[in-house]
Amino acid sequence: MLVSDRVSGLALSALGAAAAYSGSQLPPVPGQQVGPSAFPTIIGIGLVLCGIMIAAGIGRSFEDEAEADLGSIEGSREALAAAPPPGLLRGLVALLPPALLVFYVLAVEQLGFVPTAAAMLVAIVLAFGGSVRLAIGLAAIAPILVHAVFYKLLRVPLPAGLLPMPW
Amino acid sequence: MSTVWEAIRLVAATDVVIAILASSIYGLVVGCLPGLSATMATALLVPVTFYLSPIAAVATIISASAMAIFSGDIPGTLLRIPGTPASAAYTDEAYAMTRKGQPELALGICLWFSALGGIAGTISLVAMAPLLAEIAFSFSTFEYFWLAIMGLMCATLVARSSPVKAIAAMLLGLLVSCVGMENPGGVPRFTFGSTDLLGGIEVVPALVGAFAVSEVMRALLLPEPPKLARRRYGSIMAGQIALTKTYWRQMTRGNIVGIIIGVLPGAGADMAAWVSYAMSKRFSKEPEKFGTGHPEGLVEAGASNNASLASGWIPSLLFGIPGDTITAIAIGVLYMKGLNPGPTLFTERASSMYALYIIFLIANIIMIPLGIMMIRATSHVMRAPRASIMPVVLICAAVGAFATGNNLFAVLVVAAFGVIGYTMEANGYPVAAMVLGIVMGTMVEQSFVTSLIKSDGSVLPFFERPVSAVLAAMTFAALLWPVAAWLWRKNFRHPRLRSA
Repeated sequence: MLVSDRVSGLALSALGAAAAYSGSQLPPVPGQQVGPSAFPTIIGIGLVLCGIMIAAGIGRSFEDEAEADLGSIEGSREALAAAPPPGLLRGLVALLPPALLVFYVLAVEQLGFVPTAAAMLVAIVLAFGGSVRLAIGLAAIAPILVHAVFYKLLRVPLPAGLLPMPW
Repeated sequence: MSTVWEAIRLVAATDVVIAILASSIYGLVVGCLPGLSATMATALLVPVTFYLSPIAAVATIISASAMAIFSGDIPGTLLRIPGTPASAAYTDEAYAMTRKGQPELALGICLWFSALGGIAGTISLVAMAPLLAEIAFSFSTFEYFWLAIMGLMCATLVARSSPVKAIAAMLLGLLVSCVGMENPGGVPRFTFGSTDLLGGIEVVPALVGAFAVSEVMRALLLPEPPKLARRRYGSIMAGQIALTKTYWRQMTRGNIVGIIIGVLPGAGADMAAWVSYAMSKRFSKEPEKFGTGHPEGLVEAGASNNASLASGWIPSLLFGIPGDTITAIAIGVLYMKGLNPGPTLFTERASSMYALYIIFLIANIIMIPLGIMMIRATSHVMRAPRASIMPVVLICAAVGAFATGNNLFAVLVVAAFGVIGYTMEANGYPVAAMVLGIVMGTMVEQSFVTSLIKSDGSVLPFFERPVSAVLAAMTFAALLWPVAAWLWRKNFRHPRLRSA
């Protein structure tokens, strides 16, 4: 998600203003001059100032220089620059990992760890352009291994759900 | 002497030995996969450290990060894709050597001088930490406040991005640390009525999200890196002793620069490599050879980034102020294991500190045989398709975050910080600065508010004690440095560019 400096700067300013305002409304500690409101208020004001400077384009020259330095080296950046700018649909693919994590939170209690993780793996392997065989193979093996390590060795209480493991 | 024996006994315990070996191999494999950085390797290890003894936990962090920093050089040398950001500075040089038909020599330099650099860094840690601990005993909240602020400012200076954006990212991190009830008034702050947010936003899930999930998101939009052709390597270590004799000056300078940058709070291995490579070129007798596969710069930068790794632990152990993102994670582990950072660590837990030094030495020594094995196995490891690695990283991120507190809210934090980290990176906001803000926020606020209460709301005492005055001056210098650099460039460099 690439937005212009103007947009990101103004967004930060708005966030800073909100933080400073709601921070300053916090109840003080009786008998003390400084309490829980001092720190967020100062940070909020700082964010407002930084946001305005970013929106105005101050400091942009440093970024150009760093990019020139890196551009020749980092293959990934080069590839990013060479590839056509991702369309809206392509860009949305990047949101798959966080979406799958939300799915995990919603589903893991009912389905259990192994089926949930397997479903996530199938989805993301296919999104990476892996073959169906790889997706199914990985979904069959990896969740059980991860479950064994975390549940058995590290004693993390992963929910059993529909498919309890024998250990 | 008895403390040293006690330390050796601690390190020789079976679980510690297994932890060192297993995490070394893990660090080597993760470091050499492009896109998986040393920081991410360490962040994904944290949930595992919960279940280890204190010394074993620290040992996993030390050995995995040291190995990953070296291992990042391997894909950089062979494919021109740095495995970790710390290798980016000299990737072109190393790749040029591969094109000249000397991949063994290039990889050998990376390995040998990484190990020597790591040992030099360890020696600096052993020598400096107790001395600084003496000084640190006399520090009050004023000094701690300035130290923390200076660390945060250093992190913004070295971000290789717009300094304004770096400061904004750092402030954003501090704002995140404000969430929850752990504040001077004990009132719920920015919790929006959610009980999950009352405890604040946990550092580990935020880190895992910002470094691991955002990387998976980015990888989805990038083409797969090219595959490595299988090849046989000659002797890796041949000629390294001769090179050490030729370039001992460069190596020593690299070590010293790396140690200094490591000690500075906030600046880590990436920066050490960039500075050392630039310095090597500047002071070289044959700067025209740089970039064509010349070992000189490689020696200096390779010696530097691993040296900074060990000295980065100095501010972390003494003040709880991380030297870089890896030690930021390590500090969390130290607190969790009852090894709370601070000068008393060196007096009351001396045997644990000696154990830590020994682990550093062992990690850097076994780096050589394990590294040679890794180089020979690289073409196999790197043939694993990205479509099988990144999905497993995602699952580990979810389970690892859940394991930090056995609550599902942490997984949501991971998802949220994945999106935040991805968006910030895409728009030129340095993620590391935000992470340091989150890690240090509580400490900055505590020292700030306590100091203000002590001084009855006046700011003057912040500058009155000699050490705090010096630290304050350094902080303001760090703040004004970008302005000075910008003015200098505007007045001196651009006219020349225009006339050229």
